[in-house]
Amino acid sequence: MREFFMRFLNKLLRRDEKLKIGLYGHPNSGKTTLANTMSQDWLGKPIGLVSNIPHETRSVYRQERVSIKQDGVELDFDIIDTPGIATKVDYKNFLEFGLSEDEAKERAKEATKGIIEAIKWLDDVTGVLLVMDATRDPLTQANITIIGNLEARKIPFVIVANKIDMEESNPDRIISVFPQHTVVPISALHGENTGELYMSMVRKFK
Amino acid sequence: MDFLSSDALESLSSMEKISMIVDRVKEGDLLVIEGGLSPAEEAELIETTMREIDIEQFVGIDIFTLEKDERSFFGFSKKRKVGLTIIGPANVMKAVKKKSNFLSMIAEIGDSGASVH
Repeated sequence: MREFFMRFLNKLLRRDEKLKIGLYGHPNSGKTTLANTMSQDWLGKPIGLVSNIPHETRSVYRQERVSIKQDGVELDFDIIDTPGIATKVDYKNFLEFGLSEDEAKERAKEATKGIIEAIKWLDDVTGVLLVMDATRDPLTQANITIIGNLEARKIPFVIVANKIDMEESNPDRIISVFPQHTVVPISALHGENTGELYMSMVRKFK
Repeated sequence: MDFLSSDALESLSSMEKISMIVDRVKEGDLLVIEGGLSPAEEAELIETTMREIDIEQFVGIDIFTLEKDERSFFGFSKKRKVGLTIIGPANVMKAVKKKSNFLSMIAEIGDSGASVH
């Protein structure tokens, strides 16, 4: 364990750019919940608001200087929590969550801007956690587009199969769809298996 | 529904390709394109779509791809390549079942329904 972090630290010291880890994925896949769990684990405070209405995060949140302290080794990096990437935004979908028509339209407008912002941030991040909802079909165009862009830009990433606390979750489906990539099943809400995720981050982003 | 061969797109720049796709989809066209877009073009397509969403009339796009195996010149290795890309308005393409070699979708046009398999 210590060796891992030491190697990670050594690599970091040789980097000119700061390590910026972006959380990407569909709306409502649990990016902000994970960002909060990570921030809580390492800084003792959350990063952003969460809700079960899609597109809750509509602009990029940045938590600077997050530190992992492990076996006497300290690592510093930024967490970038991004709005969910989708190919469509229909305000009518928000009405079922009890928003008024005006609120739903405003939310939709902000969501479209947030998606553009999230895509632009792909140029700036040095590593990505691609968060997928393990209760849903992972083979979506948004996921394919994000992975294609990460591969083309040579940005290292870990796929996070989130929501394994839910009965209908099926992280194995994500593993079988993306066998060539690192997939870590977790529950960001309950902090389940996050230790394994942090180790995978160290391995991938070193 | 428009069918576009890869030759028809080859002569266009990425920017021209994206504007052509978004313009047609905004008019309600469903495009079936031979081959696929590059990852950068896909990201650009999503960005352009987000800029064009007007809340009432155009709520975005749906994209589906069918992949095929492509063998290298010597036939030693094979990799998956996009064979067909289907892009349409999100409020028209209603349901899709996708398997590795099969795509089923239903496009709702006005009050009538059209089914494409």
